Amino acid sequence: MKKFSRRRGVITTELSSYEVELLASLINQLIELVSDGQPDRYVAGTQPEEAFDELVRELTEQVDQPEEPQDPVLKRLFPNAYPDDASASSDFRRFTERSLREKKISEATIVLQRLAETEQGAHPLRIPPAEAEAWLRTLTSIRLAVATRLGITDAEAADALNDLPDEDPRAFMVSVYDWLGFAEETLINAL
Amino acid sequence: MGFMADSEGVGVVPAGGTAVEERPLDLTVPQTPWMTIVWDDPVNLMSYVTHVFMTYFGYPKNKAHKLMMQVHTEGKACVSSGTREEMERDVTAMQEYGLWATLDKADEL
Repeated sequence: MKKFSRRRGVITTELSSYEVELLASLINQLIELVSDGQPDRYVAGTQPEEAFDELVRELTEQVDQPEEPQDPVLKRLFPNAYPDDASASSDFRRFTERSLREKKISEATIVLQRLAETEQGAHPLRIPPAEAEAWLRTLTSIRLAVATRLGITDAEAADALNDLPDEDPRAFMVSVYDWLGFAEETLINAL
Repeated sequence: MGFMADSEGVGVVPAGGTAVEERPLDLTVPQTPWMTIVWDDPVNLMSYVTHVFMTYFGYPKNKAHKLMMQVHTEGKACVSSGTREEMERDVTAMQEYGLWATLDKADEL
């Protein structure tokens, strides 16, 4: 891909069909993960009947004391707000985690729509400035997810991945991670 | 102590006619300030962290950059302070941006 640039107020770049497909696939995986495999459950402004079902579900599944998620990526996306206070962290989770998940999913959907408009990269990608934050947050979520799966827990772990031999199975994901970093960095510079 | 801790118990009038003998403690003790802490992580770009501090908090570029460098070199930085409710809002926003943020009482950093 080329750097993002800003033309007549719109942030734009060109992506190959492969890059569009790759990014869309990563975003769909993010939506799947953040929605626990049920994206319909996390659409903001759910219909009243569905909201009622949701309430019943929450009451029966004892979400009174929601716990830290098990999946390491979700753990990173929704960390404990009070590191030394499990009860306060749980309360915080109860009041924030659902809307955080909804927001991640609705922003990821915005990104997918703009990607679809390129028709597999046949047309330039065009991002209206009002959607720039949604793009940045979504790229960040994906980078955090990929980094977690790659075991990038500190700077040393990140550096070690730069020296992987090509035949290492992680080499491909490392190149994806670097590509996402390039996309995000140049998007910020284009703002 | 819950998410809405700061707004609870303030301005609540007893429903019955019973007089309240003592004021609830939290009305007389000054509120402990809270703070939002952002922790270093190996993933988020320096330019992005600076962008977030400028965009969300409205900090000028210098201050945003300085805070980002503090996160990067010292492992964490206090990026805002205020009531517990305000800090829960800031932590939520930082989590929306994918920054690793927590809150704590201001005397415990």
